[in-house]
Parts: sequence; structure tokens; C-alpha cells
Amino acid sequence: MAEHVVHSTPTLFYVLAFVAMGYLLYNLRRLFTVQIGKAEERPLDFFGQLYNSLSFGVGQRKVYSKRFTYASIMHFLMGWGFIELLFATTVDFFTARGWFATYLPTMDTPWFAFLNDTGGIMLIAGVVMALFRRHLNIPEKLPQSNFKGRGNLFGDTGILLFLLILGVGGFLAEAARLAVERPETAQYSYIGYAISHLLSFDTWVIMKPNLWWSHAIASLLFISVLPMTKMFHALAVIINVALTNRKLRGHLRPMNVTALMEDPNMDPDEISLGVGKSSDFTWKQLLDSVACTECSRCSTVCPASSTGKLLSPMKIITDIRADLYQNTLGFGEESDLVGGRISAEELWACTTCGACMEECPVLIDHVPAITDMRRHLVLSEGMPPEQASESLEATMQNGNPWGFQKADRLKWATDVDLDLPILADKKEVDVLYWVGCAGTYDPRNQGVAQSVVKILQSAEVNFAVLGKEETCTGDSARRLGEEYLFETLAQENIATLNSYKFNTVITACPHCFNTISNEYPDFGGNYNVVHHSEFIQQLLDDGKLNPEKSLDGNVTYHDACYLGRHNDIYDAPRNVLDSVLTEESNYIELEQSKSSSFCCGAGGGNMWHEDNKGDRINVTRMEQIIDSKADKVATACSFCMIMLDDAMKVKGKEDEMVIQDIAEIIAERL
Amino acid sequence: MKIVVLVKQVFDKDSNINVSGDGVLTNREDLTLSTNESDAYALEEALQIKEKNGGEVIVVSVGNDSVLTVIKDGLAKGADRGLHVKIDNEESLDALDLAKLIHASIKDENIDMVLSGLQSDDKGNGQTGILLAELMNLSHASLVMGTEIQDDNSIRVKRELEGGWFQWTDLSLPTSLTIQSGINKPRYSSLRGIMMMKKKPIDVKSAEDLGFTALQKSKVMKMYIPEKTKETVYIEGSVNEIVDQLMDKFANEIKIF
Repeated sequence: MAEHVVHSTPTLFYVLAFVAMGYLLYNLRRLFTVQIGKAEERPLDFFGQLYNSLSFGVGQRKVYSKRFTYASIMHFLMGWGFIELLFATTVDFFTARGWFATYLPTMDTPWFAFLNDTGGIMLIAGVVMALFRRHLNIPEKLPQSNFKGRGNLFGDTGILLFLLILGVGGFLAEAARLAVERPETAQYSYIGYAISHLLSFDTWVIMKPNLWWSHAIASLLFISVLPMTKMFHALAVIINVALTNRKLRGHLRPMNVTALMEDPNMDPDEISLGVGKSSDFTWKQLLDSVACTECSRCSTVCPASSTGKLLSPMKIITDIRADLYQNTLGFGEESDLVGGRISAEELWACTTCGACMEECPVLIDHVPAITDMRRHLVLSEGMPPEQASESLEATMQNGNPWGFQKADRLKWATDVDLDLPILADKKEVDVLYWVGCAGTYDPRNQGVAQSVVKILQSAEVNFAVLGKEETCTGDSARRLGEEYLFETLAQENIATLNSYKFNTVITACPHCFNTISNEYPDFGGNYNVVHHSEFIQQLLDDGKLNPEKSLDGNVTYHDACYLGRHNDIYDAPRNVLDSVLTEESNYIELEQSKSSSFCCGAGGGNMWHEDNKGDRINVTRMEQIIDSKADKVATACSFCMIMLDDAMKVKGKEDEMVIQDIAEIIAERL
Repeated sequence: MKIVVLVKQVFDKDSNINVSGDGVLTNREDLTLSTNESDAYALEEALQIKEKNGGEVIVVSVGNDSVLTVIKDGLAKGADRGLHVKIDNEESLDALDLAKLIHASIKDENIDMVLSGLQSDDKGNGQTGILLAELMNLSHASLVMGTEIQDDNSIRVKRELEGGWFQWTDLSLPTSLTIQSGINKPRYSSLRGIMMMKKKPIDVKSAEDLGFTALQKSKVMKMYIPEKTKETVYIEGSVNEIVDQLMDKFANEIKIF
């Protein structure tokens, strides 16, 4: 180890450094604004949080995305380069004065010297890539500058140039030091060493103090104003991901409306229902907004944004932050949050498909925030989208959003002479088949329900249906912000389900599946729920079904958001399809598939109302399918079926294409 | 402006009603009850008039305890108080008795307006609002598609005529208007509204309280589902013969002339 030398870092530098740190701390008050948010039940565990901050924060695990490869590499170079230099600077802060000298390396320790130059070159390379991306070659949709709330000191390009100045300035200062001091290990600082040969010794001697001071002052300035620039995310993100419980991703918080209604102290004039202003959010939701880096990946992948609707998930998050900073720090203009900064039209355009959350590198939960604001519109203002209010009223009256009669719950079966076992008669059964409102009433999905029954009968499964006792699970109502209706339906269904004995609930509808398996536990309903794709796969694996291998042609599978992104079920439906593909068939994976699948447009209650702005989401998805040359499209979702079937007709492809549920595909081959 | 809205609870429009041979409903428990469609528009119109001009909206419904649902829905949407005229055999009242009963229940209120739906989705008499006007000596208009309060004593209403025509007419207040569906967009009940509803008063008056006993002037003799029939007739012959036969059928069988 090289000998520690107290080099000539002047005391003035330390004075300035403490001033800079002080200003940094003052600027960090932004982080504490989230205290105006509500408390939330958020079980945290130390190791989980540490893992998150190392993996998603320092490690930037989710910065990598195959849809943004260039930007991912660019950010890794900048991010890790920056972190390395921060480490180097911190070490030097101490060793320059000889503090902790026994434990710390010096700038001339070979490995440290090598590491530091590598960090510097990474930062510069990343910055150059970013400048190239922003100004010369735009390889993908660039972040729209939307810097609401925190400001963007120096601007998007300015901050890159600042980083470049820091990187280059560091190398020059280093080169001067190496040229003048000539340490034995100089060559390990390979960049600085190379630069040190470019000028004469005398020139370096003259320039050395100037270079050192300019680099020092630039660095201190950078640190002190960091929270006022785009770079604030470097700090805010680490804190946000550290406090994120990934098990609760996309989780909609129950409001316990029933309890609220019974509370004698509740004042209907005063109580806030849903989120109408930033202080109605929880502190964690506010921290999400503080952490937003404005990379705009969410808006790029959002099916509503990309088909020309008013919604931009990034704008929603930055608007929340703007509102937060306005109310706490007095930044910017005063305005209402919902109905002011954020319009109802933006909120209703969301399909809750989760593409934004999937792509967000800093683990922001956009969908629950949007749903919370929808709750305000519906529960507080009584303003659901006009068309959707009819289906909400129908759900309230008739237990299904179509408004068909409860008495006709079994018509889909009796019309084709299926005599179904009813759970009320059997009391106890192995499998409860939850048909769902689409399977019950929608003509296209009735065929799917009939196929499921054929499969169950063929595999001799001991099953029953609820018949008239089944009502809507409340998925659409909940996502439309109608938590009261949802809670009523959930309680009703849970009471029904709890009165019988069964081992498994199966359903062909991913929305019913998601609601019963992930949301009913919050209301006391805990069941073993299996989506029909997994159930059929199990039957196939167990040899209980032997469908003919006769599916040929160009086959593809469209991932449903509530099966894929929301529940990570990607393989089961593909395996089911695979079991009937012929040798000659050509299975095509869509470009936007699995976790980057493109929504059909029906999620989030958007099945029940139409946003006429821009293109129709289902038609856009159909165009992607047509471009893939697939002519046989498999789905595993009732809503996707309706939307794609409709889009196929809009495109005039009904004679050339077939859209089928995986259950239909299997059933007709038994 | 003190406005009374008459709201009736009826079977859901799309209900599949099953009737046995002796004219008894056999699937009552399967049928969904809801607010009569045009009454929902009448309520919305009343709420909008109140919002613009101030005042009070009172929701009145006649029937057994089940009608409390439609009264509460009206209160949740913004009406100020409810009045439940309690009677078990509402179905057997004729329109005049119903109007008399309602009259007795609201005559002490110093009302400016009675709004009701044009007709009920079940019996479809379309008379209650008009008979009430007569009993209470109010001006009246039916098939109302628009309202404009002129001053404290008059209102201008838009009435729907046949063939796509409309009529604007001025009426003196107090008045009774029967409202056509489609006049406005009925609002959605917010949870806040439902919470507030719990604190709003609902008066209950029985037929006996109002001095009526043994009201039953009409009786359902028979109830049946209309039979759908379909007949196809081939008309043959020369063009002239076909035209003659067609004209004869139009004039004498289908009676379209």
C-alpha cells in the first residue's frame, strides 16, 4: 500500500464542503414533505428493504428493460460510474487529510486508481450516449420534459453537460496531479496517466491548482443543488425502493366502507373518500411521486398514451408531486389535484393494465394512485364515466354489469341442454367452477363456459357451479373507483362461498381470478383459486385429457394483463396450446408479449365505457396481431375475447382469422 | 321552490315475468325491483331546479316497506326528505285512489311543484300526476321535455308532441308536471350522498292515518304473457292481382290506412 500523504487539500475546501452539505440538507427537505400523507399498513422487514435498496437502487436492476436497451446501457454506465466516483470522492475526503488512513486506500493505491478511472470513463461514456440520444439520434421515444413540482435546474441537456464537466474536469485534475507528483503507481490511473503526457511538466505545474479548484468547486456546487435538478432521483429512488414492499405491488387498499358507515362519529361532510388532494394519499404514494425520475417509460408503454388518449402515467405522478410540493413548500401554482392538475378524462383513460408499473425502474405504483383518485370522483362526487354509470347501476341491481336478469344465470347451460350440478344441491364438491358474468351472459363467452364444462366432464372432475347464487366479483366496479359497490359484492360472495365446502375455485376469467384470489383475502375470503389455464395444464399433465394434436397454421397467444402482468401466469396457457399444436404448425410469439403485452383495452372498467380520443386500443392490438401474420389467436380472458373479437370485425378479418379461448381449443379436440 | 317528486317502485324493465294459469306471478323472488324509469328523470329535474333556484325536494312513494329503497335512493341523490305513504295493497289501487292518497299526504305542505314520471313501467296509466293536479287545483302539463322557471309564479315547459314536434308553454305555479324519460341525465348516487341520506328524515303515513280505509277499487282479473304469433302468407298471381290483394290486406287486416 502506498504511503499516506496529507496532500495539499486546503482547509478552505472543507469549509466550502460543509456549506455545500448544509445546502444539500436544506434541499433535502423535499423528502420530508411526504409526512402530510396518511399512514399505511406496510409491513417492512429489514433484510427485504436492504435487498431492495441494493438490488433496485444501487444495482439498478429494473433499469434494464429489453424495450429500452440503449437507455439501459446508457444509464448503467452513468449510474455505476457516478456511484463509483461518489465512493472515490468520499474516500478521498478523508484520506486527503490522513483520516482513517490505516483503513482506506489512497488515490494512488493501484486497484483504487484503476477503479476510479474506470468509473470516470463510464460516466463520460454514458453522458456522451445520453447527449447523442437526446440530440443526434433519437432511437426511441424520449422523455417528455414534464418537470412539475421540483423544477429542473440546468435542464435536461444542462445537467448532462454538468456531469461531463465533472468527469472531464476530474481527469484533468488527476492528470495534473500525476504529472506533478509522479507517484510510482501513476499508470494505474490509466486515463489520467495518458492525459498527463499531453502537456509539458511546467504547464501542468501552472495549471494544477486551477484545475483542482475548478473541479472542487464544480463538485460542491453539484452536490449542493442536486435535489433541485433531475439528479435528485439518485437519492430519492434509493429511499423509495428501500421502503417498497414488493408483495403489495398494485395492491388496492380496502376502504372498509361498511365499518365507516356504522361509525357514529363519521361526518359525511368532512370525510375524504378516495383521493382528491395530495394529503389524501399515503406517505408511500407521495414518496413514489418524489422518486419519479421522469424517464417516461411508463407513458411510452401505456396503451392509453400510445393510442392518443389524454392519459400519461408519468404526468399523473409528477402532478401528484407538484401538488405535494405546492401544499408543503409553496412551489408553483395553487390548484386542485383532481379536477385541476389532473382531469377526470385522464383518470378514466387508464385500463389498469399495469404496463407502467411493470416498466417503472423505481417501483412506482401508478395504478393504485389512479384508482384512489377515481374513488374520489365516484364516491365523493358521484361522477363515474357516463356510460359506466349504467353498468355500475346494473351491477348493483342485477349483480352483473350487463344488467341481465339474475334469474337467467344458468341460461347459457340450459339453452344447450347442459344439466349442471349446483353447489346449493351438492353442498360439498372438489371443484367450484366460477363462471363469471361474461361466461354467463356474453354470447361469445358462453361458448367458453360450455367448453370448460366439457373439459371438466371429460376429465371426470367432481365439480359444481353456483348458479343463481353467483354475482359479479366487483372487479370492474372496484377499478372504476366504486369501492362501496365492490365491498358489498365481495361480502356477499364471500358469505356464499364460506357456506359451502370445496377445495378449489376455478375460473376462465382472469379478472374474477385476480379479485377472488388476491383481493377477497382482505375481506375474509381465503380460497385456493386456480385459473382455467393452469387447471387445464394440470389435467393434461396428469393424463386426464388427451386432446387431438390438430392445431395447425400460424398460431399466437395474446397475454391478458390480469393473468400475465398482474399474476405472473405466462407459461400455463402456452403449454396448453402447445399440447395440441401439430408438427407443421407455426407458433408465433407477438412482439409485445408476456410482461410487455399490450392491453386489449377492457381492463379497469373500460369494458363499460369508451374513450373516443385517438385510436381504439383493441384495434391497435389487433393490428399488431395482423402484422405478426398469425391467423389463429388464442386468449385466456373473457374481456380480451370480447375486445379482440370486436376488433377483428372492425378490421374485416372475420373470414381469415379465428379467435378462441384455450378452453375452446382443447374442448373441440377431445 | 318546494318540489314534491312522486317515485314508484316497479319490477325491472327487463324482468322475465312468469305467470301461472290463474294469473299469479310465480317468480316474484327472482325479480329485481327498481325506480320507475321516468320517475328517475323527474327526480333529477327536481334536483336541478333546486340547485338553480334553491328550495327543497321531497320524495314521495306509496307502497309497502320495500319502497323505502327508492325513497332512500332519492335522498342519496340529493332530495331533502322522504315521505312513505304506507299501504300493503298498492297494486290494487286505481289511479284516482292513488292520487287521493297522495293528495291527503301532501296537502298540508305549501308546495310549488309536483314532478312525476310520465307513466309507470308496470301499469302505464299515466294519470296520477294529472289527477293530483285536479285534486289540488294545480296547473299541469304532461310529456314534459324541458323546464325553465320564469319567476316565483310561473314556469315555462317544453312538451313533446307527436311527429317530432315540441311545444313551449307557460304555466302558473303551483303546477304538476309529468316528465318524459330523456329530459336530463340522472345522476349517480355517490357514497357521500348515501352517507348523508342516513341523516335525512323519512316521514311515514299510513292510509288509515290519512283517513282512508278499505281502498280497493280495481282487481286484477287475469294476467298472462302475450302470445307471440307469426303467420306467413304467400300471395300469388299477376302483379296487379298481388297489388290488389296486398292493398286489401293493408286496409282490412293490418288496418294501416
